[in-house]
Amino acid sequence: MIIRLKHLVVAVIAIPFLALLIGWSGLIGVGASSGHWAITDWFLHWVMRNSTRTAALSIEAPPLEDSTMLPPAAGHYEMACAMCHGSPVTPRPELVRHMLPVPPDLGPRIPTWTDEQLFQIVQHGVRFTGMPAWPTQKRPDEVWAMVAFLRQLPGMSADRYYELSGLYRPPMEGEVDDLPLSCESCHSARKVGPGSLVPSLAGQSEEYLLESLKAYANNERPSGIMQMAISLLPNDSFPELAHYYATQTRPQDSAAPVDADLVERGRILAQRGRSEDKIPACLSCHEKPGSNPVYPRISGLSQPYLERQLHLFNEGIRGGTEYSHVMREAANYLEDDDIVAAAAYFAQRQE
Amino acid sequence: MSGGRLYGGASLHDGMSRIGGAYLSRSAQRGAVLRAALLFGCIPLSSCSGVQSALDPAGPEAANVATLFYVMLVGGSLIWIGVVGVLAYASRLGREPHSERMAGWVILLCGAVGPAVILGALLSYAVWLMPNLRPWTSSGEPGLRQIEVTGEQFWWRARYLDPSGAPLFEAANEIVMPVGERVLFTLKSPDVIHSFWIPSLGGKMDAIPGRINAVTLEASKAGLYRGACAEFCGPSHALMAFTVKAVEPAAFEEWLDERAAVDRPSDAEGLAVFLRHGCGACHTIAGTQANGEIGPNLTAVGARETIAAGTLPNTTEAIARFIRNPEEIKPGVHMPAFDMLPDGDVEMIAAYLKGLK
Repeated sequence: MIIRLKHLVVAVIAIPFLALLIGWSGLIGVGASSGHWAITDWFLHWVMRNSTRTAALSIEAPPLEDSTMLPPAAGHYEMACAMCHGSPVTPRPELVRHMLPVPPDLGPRIPTWTDEQLFQIVQHGVRFTGMPAWPTQKRPDEVWAMVAFLRQLPGMSADRYYELSGLYRPPMEGEVDDLPLSCESCHSARKVGPGSLVPSLAGQSEEYLLESLKAYANNERPSGIMQMAISLLPNDSFPELAHYYATQTRPQDSAAPVDADLVERGRILAQRGRSEDKIPACLSCHEKPGSNPVYPRISGLSQPYLERQLHLFNEGIRGGTEYSHVMREAANYLEDDDIVAAAAYFAQRQE
Repeated sequence: MSGGRLYGGASLHDGMSRIGGAYLSRSAQRGAVLRAALLFGCIPLSSCSGVQSALDPAGPEAANVATLFYVMLVGGSLIWIGVVGVLAYASRLGREPHSERMAGWVILLCGAVGPAVILGALLSYAVWLMPNLRPWTSSGEPGLRQIEVTGEQFWWRARYLDPSGAPLFEAANEIVMPVGERVLFTLKSPDVIHSFWIPSLGGKMDAIPGRINAVTLEASKAGLYRGACAEFCGPSHALMAFTVKAVEPAAFEEWLDERAAVDRPSDAEGLAVFLRHGCGACHTIAGTQANGEIGPNLTAVGARETIAAGTLPNTTEAIARFIRNPEEIKPGVHMPAFDMLPDGDVEMIAAYLKGLK
């Protein structure tokens, strides 16, 4: 038989219908129990690795040696990742071994990716695998922290993992313990020293805490870590939590080394601002007697936390309470060295 | 800007709604078109008087500008009439060709000598007038009153200085000056180029970042005038006006003393709300803790003719509207919106500000 043009045309029209017919018939299995054909499995992984490699070409990793990044990432790992990928203290549960594809044990896999490729996977997730994207696309700093943590994960000791993530060790027999993971896992006084990226909540304004919890819950303050953590809480627990932390006393930590010149520059910004650059004085809103209680208390918070938040405000990323846009405008004209100076001043300041 | 209105924006909507939605009969339509055409034709006339007109001068420089305008207008009109007359003569009356010799003379006289003489005369007059349009002054001139004016996106900072140059106090979007006395304006800008122009008093002068320009102006009669930014400076360039109050010298001295006084009566409750939300971070109110210098100084804001740099009438409602959403009134403004304040707080702040005299 000679194949003529009309045969081709009929075939082109008929093939999509045939495909639809097969799909409609229900004969294609979607069960996870039987697994993929070997060739399908190879093809999907091949595409995934290629896609990740190409996407990572345009990404450049920042320095990831700073260990202050590790605790929030570890806490998030325990909360969001360990349930599928296991951790140094808990193996993957049996159930996830029956997912298709099976979420890998990360130990042997992490060294096969570059930092940029890990960032791509964690930030965007992987389609058709169950690997979710980071809860917000606006916080690459959090994702880089996670990459830094993942680099440390292969071969991490259980003790180190307990320490970083704040996970409570299993209770002794008969002992009634807290939840294994809670706000305190990351925000306890023991963990929020002067070098911490995680803020101390003790003694913070109750109104500010409550409005901030609501902002996370309503996706108005982008943070993959906090949005995930808050989503596990019932909304009616917010007032109680805000009250709990507001009534704690803020530890006055004077152990942090102080650069007097830097602190002095920060003091001038805090008390006078720099009006020619449209930078208002921090203290005209914060910690001013009689001021709006939704404006947070910032003295005594750790320098890395303050710097990070000021950068986020400065870049227009930081959301938060209904008043956060006022702070975005106030921080809009800060230079990098202003941010360091203001953070240094408030970190050592005692209200 | 006729009829003495000092604020520019925000009335557009009222006018629109009056035009929209009316059904008219055919003859009424024709009448309406005629009236509209007549009105449209009168628009240029409206700029001949009012608070912001170079043709309604209230100072010697502006008077010179007006004279120059009228001389040029008359000169230009005469030339126009002459040219049109010759054209009419050539096309209707003098149909016979001129001799070549005659044509040569016409070209020489009407095409070269005539224009050179007339334009030369007008130009000489204009050049002769120039020194009067921009009297030469230096800031070192003793005894001259000084006002330092800074153009900012999109408002005017006015700092009153004593004759030695030391600052007395700051105000915003309003300039008060004595009648019959030359005042030195030193012009600055922290952001982009603005231009300071009070048409009723004189010519414009640019405020350029990194430079200090000087211009002196004198008001010859008391009154309210309107100044404007005359150099495109951003999205709200057209909403960057200011009021000029020319008052008798005695009243001016009195005003200076009044404004320099730190002890001012005010509504303590309103002030507390103003301070509670941090307004004092950007705005100063003399005699209170509010000492920010980023935004306009609000001492005695209630006594100003307009708010938002000549954009809205100075009413409590307009102040509240501006506080709630400044961006809606002035695109590109630096002030954040405060529509999230608890119920009643915006009204309290607005009433407090309106009460500051």
